[in-house]
Amino acid sequence: MEIRLEKAFLIFRKDWKEISRNWQVILPIIAVPLVLTIVLPVIMIYLPGAVYNQGVYTGDVTEFIKNIPSEVRMQISMMDSRQAMIYIVLVYLFAPFFLIIPLMASSVIASDSFAGEKERKTIEALLATPISDDELLLGKILVSFIPSMTVTILSFTVYTIVVDLLTYDIFNGKYILPNTTWLLLIFGAAPAVAFATIGLIVGISARVKGFREAQEISGVLIIPIVMLIAGQATGAFFLGTNTLLIMVVVLVILDIMIFYIGKMLFEREKILVRLD
Amino acid sequence: MSMIVAHGLTKRFGDLTAVDNLSFEIDEGEVFGLLGPNGAGKTTTIRLLACLLIPTKGEAEIAGYSIWRDQLKIREITGILTENPCLYERLTAYENMEFFAEAYNITDPREKSIRIRELLEFFGLWDRRHDKVGKFSKGMKQKLAIARALVHRPPILYLDEPTSDLDPESSKAIRDLIRKLSEREQCTILLSTHRLEDAEKLCSKVMIIKEGRRIALGSPSQLSMMVNEYNVLEIRLRHPHKKIRSILEDISGVDRVEIGETVIRIEMKKDVEEVTPIIVRHIVEAGGEVLSVTPIRPSLEDVYLKLVKGDGDKA
Repeated sequence: MEIRLEKAFLIFRKDWKEISRNWQVILPIIAVPLVLTIVLPVIMIYLPGAVYNQGVYTGDVTEFIKNIPSEVRMQISMMDSRQAMIYIVLVYLFAPFFLIIPLMASSVIASDSFAGEKERKTIEALLATPISDDELLLGKILVSFIPSMTVTILSFTVYTIVVDLLTYDIFNGKYILPNTTWLLLIFGAAPAVAFATIGLIVGISARVKGFREAQEISGVLIIPIVMLIAGQATGAFFLGTNTLLIMVVVLVILDIMIFYIGKMLFEREKILVRLD
Repeated sequence: MSMIVAHGLTKRFGDLTAVDNLSFEIDEGEVFGLLGPNGAGKTTTIRLLACLLIPTKGEAEIAGYSIWRDQLKIREITGILTENPCLYERLTAYENMEFFAEAYNITDPREKSIRIRELLEFFGLWDRRHDKVGKFSKGMKQKLAIARALVHRPPILYLDEPTSDLDPESSKAIRDLIRKLSEREQCTILLSTHRLEDAEKLCSKVMIIKEGRRIALGSPSQLSMMVNEYNVLEIRLRHPHKKIRSILEDISGVDRVEIGETVIRIEMKKDVEEVTPIIVRHIVEAGGEVLSVTPIRPSLEDVYLKLVKGDGDKA
């Protein structure tokens, strides 16, 4: 049967109205990006010693720079130590942190939308309406995906403006963001991460009791991102353009698999029966 | 014309058989009562007929549509009041109604707002339409849930405990509404209830189920007959005299007569309505002054308790 988009958008509108009135959902979506886009860059640039303090961290910086890929080394070859460190931290080390935003936002929204509806025992009347499974699923995916990506893109925009404004003088009138890596991260990897999170929550929604349980289970997705951050920080791994391209392709394949498994597991009857 | 026809409807959850080979028919405009103790399978039966669950076996047709093949169509023509009110507490009453109106394909804004206003006014919720449902009392939520079930004027309505959580006045209003929907709008209603008073007052047919199985089906009066060996008639006389006993005992169809101070109790296997005129004529001819004639039937509650307990005893 053909999917009626107006029905999917009806679910989207209804869920968004509900979600936007729930501080349990809205607060982390606002707080985490705020910290990442404004608080952390300000600390990194202005707090003495956070990024660079001559005479204390020089040895470490040199050691760290040795480990970074030649692609990045070339970019910082003409910079002084302070510029190099700020560039590495704000442009490269911070990049994987921005995958936390779509992961966190989509996980909180999807948990509320799927598992939360079950927990609040509102799902039965919804399932009794003449809205097909596909329309229902699409509506709920949209309400998790669109706000997550909106927050991610807004955060990226704010971060770019903040970093460029704060480093404008340091880099002698040059803007360091955006670059290809960041564009690929925000418009390639971030949607793939958001989609994978939603797919996982769709899959587990029939099997969990409510919002918190769905949140806890979806929390496992943060592990690869933490590994990515740790890998970047230790120099074991670096998110360059090529690495990101490979990552996006792998994530898209994973997304497709997770989505189909999630769709298979999304059964009206199971959702309803587990309510009792 | 039958609007709901179920044949051997069965639903199993693992080892548990929630609905066991149920067969019944509900005519257009009929109010059909579904009675049974907790866990009898009433809600599962409604969920099967509303296409919320897939039967393990058996078939049901709703207005000619199969629950196996025409699920979306069935959902379009049925309204359901679920066990829980299933309302979005962060949305207002109006927003809840608006969402369900559109979900049930009422897209014309004028038609939608007229219908929502009509229902909210009927249930006394119009003044609270902009309040979030989370602030509503249980009774208000129940009324709003019924309004939601009616928003698309469904020709078939499933009501799971509609008067629970309602005060006596609101319960009466709901009963009147059910009667009106059935009589004036020919709406077919399947009413699952614990309140035997509701079933007795509203239902033309009642099915009692236990452990998923049907243990009785018929009109309330037919069910009364099932549990009573004799029909009973009570006649109040101004001055009953002993001579009347022999007169009554001679009437064909009368099985037993007891004479009290002012009341004569007559038991018979025959239909009360058939024998009553003959009895009254004989009393009057014998000089008796009849004050009142009352056929005594066991209440649906008596029937229910006897059937449910009796069946349990057998098991």
